[in-house]
Amino acid sequence: MAERVTVSLTLNGERRTFEVPPGRRLLDLLRDDAGLIGTKEGCGAGECGACTVLLDGSPVTSCLVLAASADGHDVVTVEGLASAGRLHPFQEALVTRGGVQCGFCTPGIAVTGAAILAHREADPSEQARLLSGNLCRCTGYTKVIEALQAVTGMEHE
Amino acid sequence: MRVGLAASRYLRQISTPGAARPLGGARVDVPVREVLRPGSVAEALEALALHPDALPIAGGTDLMVQLRNGRKYATALVDLDRLGLAGLQESDEGITIGAGTRMDAIAADPRIRRLYPALAEAAAQIGAWPIQCRATLGGNLANASPAADTAPALIVEGARLVVASTAGTRQVPVEEFFLAPGRSALTPGELIISVRLPSPELGPGLRAVERFVKVGPRREQIISIVSLAGRALVGTDGTLFEVRLALGSVAPTPVRARRTEHLLTGRRPDAELRREAVRVLQDEIAPIGDVRAPAGYRRIACAVLLDRFLEEASRG
Amino acid sequence: MSRRAAHGGPLGGHHERPDARAKVAGSTRYVADLALPGMLHAALAVSPVPSARVARLELAAARALDGVEAVLTAGDIPGKNQVGVVFPDQPLLVEDRVRMVGDRLALVAARTPEAAWQAARLVQPLLEALPGVHDPVAALKPGAPSVHESGNLVRTFRVVRGDLARESARAHVVVEAEYHIGGQEHAYLEPQGCLAIPEGRERITIITSCQCPFYVQQAVARVLGIPLAAVRVEQAPTGGGFGGKEDYASEPAACAAVLAFATGKPVRLVLPRELDMQASTKRHAVVVRHRWGADRDGRLRFAEVDTVMDAGAYIGLSTVVAERANVSSIGPYDVPAVRVATHVAYTNNLFGGAFRGFGAPQVTWAAEATMDKLARRLGIDPLELRRRNVLDDLRRRTSTGQLLPRPVLARECLDRAATLAGWDEFHARPRAGSAAAREGMGIGLALYGCNLHHGGQRLDRSSAVVILQADGSVVVRVGLTEMGQGNLAAAQTIAAQALGVDPAVVQVWQPDTTTVGDSGPTVASRGAHMSGLAILDAVRRLRTRLDPVAAEVLGCRAGEVELAGGLAFVRGEPERTVPVARVAAEMAARRIEGIATGWHRTKARRFDPETGTGAPYEFYAMACHIARVKVDADLGLVRVEEVSAAQDVGRVIHRDALEGQIQGGIVQGMGWAISEELKLDRGRLANPSFTDYTIPTAADAPNVKITVVESEGATGPFGAKGVGEPSLIPTPAAVRNAVCDALGVEIDRLPLTPPTIVAALGERHPFAWLLSEKQVDDHERLATVDRDG
Repeated sequence: MAERVTVSLTLNGERRTFEVPPGRRLLDLLRDDAGLIGTKEGCGAGECGACTVLLDGSPVTSCLVLAASADGHDVVTVEGLASAGRLHPFQEALVTRGGVQCGFCTPGIAVTGAAILAHREADPSEQARLLSGNLCRCTGYTKVIEALQAVTGMEHE
Repeated sequence: MRVGLAASRYLRQISTPGAARPLGGARVDVPVREVLRPGSVAEALEALALHPDALPIAGGTDLMVQLRNGRKYATALVDLDRLGLAGLQESDEGITIGAGTRMDAIAADPRIRRLYPALAEAAAQIGAWPIQCRATLGGNLANASPAADTAPALIVEGARLVVASTAGTRQVPVEEFFLAPGRSALTPGELIISVRLPSPELGPGLRAVERFVKVGPRREQIISIVSLAGRALVGTDGTLFEVRLALGSVAPTPVRARRTEHLLTGRRPDAELRREAVRVLQDEIAPIGDVRAPAGYRRIACAVLLDRFLEEASRG
Repeated sequence: MSRRAAHGGPLGGHHERPDARAKVAGSTRYVADLALPGMLHAALAVSPVPSARVARLELAAARALDGVEAVLTAGDIPGKNQVGVVFPDQPLLVEDRVRMVGDRLALVAARTPEAAWQAARLVQPLLEALPGVHDPVAALKPGAPSVHESGNLVRTFRVVRGDLARESARAHVVVEAEYHIGGQEHAYLEPQGCLAIPEGRERITIITSCQCPFYVQQAVARVLGIPLAAVRVEQAPTGGGFGGKEDYASEPAACAAVLAFATGKPVRLVLPRELDMQASTKRHAVVVRHRWGADRDGRLRFAEVDTVMDAGAYIGLSTVVAERANVSSIGPYDVPAVRVATHVAYTNNLFGGAFRGFGAPQVTWAAEATMDKLARRLGIDPLELRRRNVLDDLRRRTSTGQLLPRPVLARECLDRAATLAGWDEFHARPRAGSAAAREGMGIGLALYGCNLHHGGQRLDRSSAVVILQADGSVVVRVGLTEMGQGNLAAAQTIAAQALGVDPAVVQVWQPDTTTVGDSGPTVASRGAHMSGLAILDAVRRLRTRLDPVAAEVLGCRAGEVELAGGLAFVRGEPERTVPVARVAAEMAARRIEGIATGWHRTKARRFDPETGTGAPYEFYAMACHIARVKVDADLGLVRVEEVSAAQDVGRVIHRDALEGQIQGGIVQGMGWAISEELKLDRGRLANPSFTDYTIPTAADAPNVKITVVESEGATGPFGAKGVGEPSLIPTPAAVRNAVCDALGVEIDRLPLTPPTIVAALGERHPFAWLLSEKQVDDHERLATVDRDG
């Protein structure tokens, strides 16, 4: 397959351009072409949420998005949640409240959590429902929701 | 041990050496040679006409999985993202939803929630949030799974699909759109452009009740074991008028339960009528036992969902 | 930083876990995040059928594919074609006989993952199907197809104690039951994988997601035919294990190692989720038969248990799981006569292995179900029945006759959980009555034997290394692994507590077989215990060199030196201090050895494997979970609303890690109990994906209430016991008992899925008449796809 597609996108706030095979998934563009290994592959079928990134501000499972489809769009990965050298408040809360165990689901959870906060959803049951696409096998979710609740309502740009 | 017919065919297929089987490992890059990104519907239709081995892709939440495990095959993909097919338009006749509208937008739209609550509920329960942010209405329909959640909702809402090809456009009632598992009324080269929802029927002194419910093994992120959408106009004494019922995952396609509707129309669903309705419903569905549930459970679950809908509808 | 009143220091506190910050930022590198120039990607060609003879393997098409550098079969293995962790019954690559779906036929290495997996699919096996056996009970009957030449009964373990005839005569109520308990998939979020880096054909480094680098070292040395010292295994940050990466991790590692030696290049193998689910180890499915008797007062008199475990095609750790299940079959109850038989059976089903609880969850589920049945038959409250029979400080002999040291905290846990759950209030008030929301409450009580069973004594030792750096920071190495449960935090905390320094100055690095001695697997809730004791030993030895230097600086005797708060000070004179960092600098300047090794091994104890009597475990932890559920009876949907947990932990090492383990164990146990089903079709997993193998999501999490019971006298580090498994074992039993309480019906099949619940309601279901009217085929009625052929 000699064909390549050009994918130009805003990635963690920076304009980037890549030449990739047409069938490349956004997940692999991020990990292999952009070297951003924070986004993980847990199942490859959009069911576990470990590959979650923000596409134009909305959480999506990047294993199901063609890199070519991201052309012209805005993508934020877990590496892009921090600002001015500081972790996103939800990331910080996950650390201080014990919401991190093996860590493999954590980047996806951090991304979806950031989106939940940006959407200003404050009710813990609704937050849990919005997080239901991010599977975790270690924590039982309690400390994750507690961390989210702890920063609900805080301002963060 | 008996496994449903469709399931055993699937198992035979994936046990044959050489056939694509999920057990053999993941593709990483999807094996296509081209991704076309047309900027208009006309361009997209032309691209599909020129590339008979191309498949259209919107959210990709079903198609990417199928390409990955070899259930579908394409040499090229036509990305529908830039066709401007997302969004709602209101008119006197009702609402038209662009085929490219994402599920999260449908679930959150105040007009859909007020006028077409079954569709809003269905959209809010497809997969989980990250899937809803990507999956499109057109994609859910074109995939033509008997478990497609929007289908029963659209059936009771009387929706029509607007379908286009290089030869022109046509409208297909949603009930006629599904032909077999994975097979829709789309002919090669056709695209769903939009879904037209007529203004909800009302009546003087009548209350509209519209519901969508799906049953699965946990609270969220499930593929329906069964689903039911119901719409009825209810009189003050609980009599039902204009009853519409549709079910998913209980037949090769989403099913409209016309005989059950007919039985109920103009009557008040007391316990005896509900029992009869549940019995009549059984003849309108043909559930199989598969990896998700046995046939017997599906029959029971349908009965419960129908009974609950009728009970709720007939309450003051 | 929290301080403890009695001792001070970080023990029991909430300080940050040392690995959390990097994980949350996405900078932690797991196996799939590691790449080397020239690295090849591995793939596996596996059998799609469960039982067959291999007539031929066609490799030409695979070899011809562009990018493929090696396609290997059994004949290409340089050392021994053997990966069985306990018994040598399991080849790495099939030679002539396929025994399970997923049995490996060939290995592929290629320059891209696409090419590797495509080549694997192009390997054409010519297989002649052989009869298989898919029911472990049927497998033990005469005439069943043999999985191995030795026959399908691998081994039987027993417990024989007390006068059965006499006690049977004293029983007024006898409950007989047969429980069908399904297996479980670990569903760790990170699939199995490893990176193998060869040095010629002499040495190799394996970086792997695993729970026991030493098992991996042994397997790789064996298949390559090189000495252990030539194999370096480093544990990569591991995204979950739960037992699934205890022994199984050796298999991808051995595959990658063989390919690395053959190609001379680094090889990375990451299992696709579907293959991981089909082929890797699972919690054993079991059939448990009970015959238990109690007298009129509800005192247990005898218990007979007969368990058949479905080991699958290879033994793996099945006999070890059986050992634990065997002695855990009765629970924390005082029973004068017990007869337990635990049979391990080969089948052509999924590969049974280690999974959090290790046989105990299955037999506990059965035991607690029988206790509730007895309670109902006797008309005694289930809580009260347990109180009457539970071991305590007066009745201290377990079912194997082991005398427990005081305090025996089973009753304490029972009572505290009941208070937390509001047991009395719940039973005093009227229940919600609608069929859509039936309420119930149920108890699960477990006695957990910590660390390895007597049969595994030769593995029960642990190694540590502590290096005091010149700037006062500390390197710690242990042999136990971090897989999310908090072993790094525990090791860091214990080392910091012992050296009197802030945890932030202690760096615990990943286990590496070239830096510590074989410490066995991180299982059996032994991680913190074994790491901790080895670290304490290392610190003791270090202090034989550190204390004299500190004493010189302080002007006191070496025996008077105390360490706390980052300072060395004179006992009784807390104002005479010197920073530990300064002592470290002084030691470095004087070239005094700042590195110390530590070692711990458990004490020998007496146990008779023939009768299953004696001391199978070193010590025990109790756990009681009480679940409150709401059941939609008509649809069979279970919502676990709340779980109250009382855990006997000895001493809290790290509070957040402890709570996280309990919350996680409860949810994982709940998933097994109600929504996780391994749907088998003649050995093939019909739902090898997260789509249809449904684990709990955030929306399913119950409210969890925890009460921690601390006590003195346990032999672990600072008196800590393990909690990794006691946090899961009682939950499924509590959920089952709560559902049965809600519905007023017995359910003896796990998981309690909607079809299973509706089937259990039988004619009581309001729409049961539908099925008889509809003439649905009996098998189609309500049974899910089942295991029998």
